[in-house]
Amino acid sequence: MAKKSSLHALTVAALALPGVLTSPAVAAEDNEASLQYGYYQEGERNTSGLANNLKPIHVDTLGSTGSLRLTDRIKLGFNYIQDTWAGATPITTAPLGLMIDGLTGASSHVNTGKNALVDKNFNPLKVDYKEVVDPATGQVSYPTVYTSSAQDKQPVHMMTSASPETRKQGNFSLGYEWDEAALTVGGGTSVERDYNSSFVSSNGRWDLNHKLTRLNAGMSYTNSDINAQRMSSAAGYIDYSRQSKSGDNAESPITGNRQDWAANIGLSQVLNKSALVETGLSVSHNEGYLSNPYKATTFIFKDPNQSHTIYPDNVFVAELTDALENRPKQRNQLTWDLRYVQHIAPVDAALHLDYRFFNDDWGIMAHTFAASWDQPLANGWSITPNIRYYSQSAADFYQPYFTFNQLKPVTSSGGIAYDQLPITHYSSDQRLSGYGVLSGGITVSKKFTKGIHLDAGFTYFNHAGGLKLGGGGEGSYADFDYYMVNAALTVNLAALSLGNQSNIDHAGHHQHHHSGHAPAGVMFDHMLPKAGDVMLGYRYMYGRQAGDMLHETSPVNDQTIAGQACAGGECTVAPTYMNMHMHMLDLMYAPTDWLTLMLMPQFVDMNMSMQSLAGISPVEVHKHATGGIGDTSAYALFKLFNNTSHHVHTAIGISAPTGDAAVQLTPGGHHGGVGGYIHYGMQLGSGTWDFKPSLTYTGQQDRWSWGAQLNGTVRMQNSNSSGYALGDVFQTSAWGSYSLLNWLSASLRGVYTVQGGIKNGFNGVHPTDATVDFANNYGGRYWDVGFGLNAMVPSGDLQGNRLSFEWLQPVSDDVNGYQLEREGALSATWSYAF
Amino acid sequence: MFCYYMKYPSQFTKLFFLGITLLASGCTQVSPWERGTLAKPQMALDPRPVLNSLNAHVYGSREAASGGGSAGGGGCGCY
Repeated sequence: MAKKSSLHALTVAALALPGVLTSPAVAAEDNEASLQYGYYQEGERNTSGLANNLKPIHVDTLGSTGSLRLTDRIKLGFNYIQDTWAGATPITTAPLGLMIDGLTGASSHVNTGKNALVDKNFNPLKVDYKEVVDPATGQVSYPTVYTSSAQDKQPVHMMTSASPETRKQGNFSLGYEWDEAALTVGGGTSVERDYNSSFVSSNGRWDLNHKLTRLNAGMSYTNSDINAQRMSSAAGYIDYSRQSKSGDNAESPITGNRQDWAANIGLSQVLNKSALVETGLSVSHNEGYLSNPYKATTFIFKDPNQSHTIYPDNVFVAELTDALENRPKQRNQLTWDLRYVQHIAPVDAALHLDYRFFNDDWGIMAHTFAASWDQPLANGWSITPNIRYYSQSAADFYQPYFTFNQLKPVTSSGGIAYDQLPITHYSSDQRLSGYGVLSGGITVSKKFTKGIHLDAGFTYFNHAGGLKLGGGGEGSYADFDYYMVNAALTVNLAALSLGNQSNIDHAGHHQHHHSGHAPAGVMFDHMLPKAGDVMLGYRYMYGRQAGDMLHETSPVNDQTIAGQACAGGECTVAPTYMNMHMHMLDLMYAPTDWLTLMLMPQFVDMNMSMQSLAGISPVEVHKHATGGIGDTSAYALFKLFNNTSHHVHTAIGISAPTGDAAVQLTPGGHHGGVGGYIHYGMQLGSGTWDFKPSLTYTGQQDRWSWGAQLNGTVRMQNSNSSGYALGDVFQTSAWGSYSLLNWLSASLRGVYTVQGGIKNGFNGVHPTDATVDFANNYGGRYWDVGFGLNAMVPSGDLQGNRLSFEWLQPVSDDVNGYQLEREGALSATWSYAF
Repeated sequence: MFCYYMKYPSQFTKLFFLGITLLASGCTQVSPWERGTLAKPQMALDPRPVLNSLNAHVYGSREAASGGGSAGGGGCGCY
């Protein structure tokens, strides 16, 4: 009997174990939340000696996923991801001899127009003068010669840089589980300045054969709208006439719609006690505007019948034009993959082998081979080296540039007469070229007790035409490399409380008595109660400015702003709104009872819109976005006084300038065209080392708790690497809170903040047409009232998790110079102590 | 170039299911209490779905053969 029940228990346990046939469509485990950060950085492109002062592209990605079991059978999942990218990528390609080298600061570009000399095979020609000595007379002459070097024939990218841009995507899924099957439906949306898409999907899972076999099937539909600005940095180079609609002018955006349908089926099979295999097939159909509105193709026209009155018969004048790429309006893709996992018993490792085959009707065939070795080590550590090889053939309509043995056909409006070209589809986007990518990396994971898991990885990629399977890839001019660093923190909210009840009770009890329920917007409001305690928290802060433009405490009109707010010059634009989002990780550890250490890395992202002031010739409304790692601060909290109802502690903190304080706009991309530093308020960090002291008092009696805090930020440098220092900050705050229920309390808070003005100013080029571009329009004195709610999950799977929200409502603004009024700020925190 | 299986979809599907049948017939029965090894985290088909989703995102922005792995997802992020 005992044997039978233990066997039964084992069976149930084994079936319930996570990791057995985890479907790729099933993202997170139950009651799990994760936060991820990724950084992608590309290396310099090869511009064959042409000037290129543009920084290669880099991308900051922040993501979070979570899943919550609502009932035994119903599961809710969410995902959020945002990317911010900035930097240069190729816009088009042309032979080196047909490029113009960038002069002081400018980028090199295609020599468009009727300026180039080529031979009959489109090889670029250079004019030279050769010294010839007449052997009879000894007379020296310099007749004109036309030469073509191998280097001049070499294709080279024209690079263009983009101001920072952000994409945000959120999606939800709802799943219902039967004993041997599950069905999930979901949907979401992705928002960018120029590209909005919405999608729905459904996935089913069916376990058979005593859960040794799993079938998966899914479908999705995506609808996207493209609304892309014409690239002002390439104004005059690119012919947009094919994509233009009647009535369009030079400022009109490129618009389009695309729809994507995808379906996949998959099968996972346990082969034996230590191996399993998965295979899947997916198809997708894409329709609509599938081109990239930021990639152009260089057309070289040569009229074979041109008269050779100036140049000899073998020298032709060619006309170069760049046209926005034009891909087919349909694409069908097919992917087949095979994955195999083998346990390596002697070292308890797992070998993962993956292969993927891809083919589409654009002519691209790709193969991916990947292998990784997942090696667990002692104390919850594991290390996973991996290698991946990817190879693709070029799309049928891809060429680095296109040559036409004809006079450039033109329409009545001067654009290319596309119907008179021998081709319809063309792209020089190197992503459609033939190449291979070899990458290798390593992931280190650490599993902490109580359901906390940290993964960190680094991968280096080498992209090269020469790596294409079977040869024939793109030339080495297009080779580049890149790397990716990422980290993910995963917390199993239910596992945190499992086997940890005594600690929770203690922590909860302690926090209840000694720190009360400080509102969400108050940082460093409590210490950890005893040596060895750890707290993990996530803090989100959102602040918005919108409404009137203020001068000191009063709204001002556009005429005043235009004349007064730009340091003697004329302001042409003012902000209409600005949003700031901060995501912070709160890591606390108490080495002793009287000391708590705290580390707070953060990710920030901001966006804003500006428009012309009344009476100024209107410029287009423009929006800016920045985002990435912010400043990282570390604190030591010291206990000063503590009894059952009163507690005082002080925090000494240092903030390291890990946030970028030199974010730049693209020259030409901004209305004024100068580019340079994006204004002070949109920079990601202070750029200076900052000292951050605070003093906190909290008290508690029955259902009431209260507190007060003084905190400050002192810049320890007079200027950062961009030439300025933000003003010092002093803030004082007092609050009271009442427990409505044993798990819920409400709070009211008053806050007074003094923010000093900016010292010095940018040490380089920056726009000067908006109020926000001037250092004297920063800082002020502010009163706010905060309304908060604070909840602690009292029981159940999520016991001990604490959630707080606070809305900070501005009461009065007294600003330095001319600034947009504040609309409010939201703080939300989650924390868990153990 | 046209995809050969798009010309011959039925043959391709047959081949796919034949492969699956062969695959399934080649496996041994593994009792639930013998699945301890398979349940280890390193034996999951995707042991790090969260981290790998970031990598997939990079592949999607730099390689033509993007997506296709799973249903769902949207946005351009075309950097």
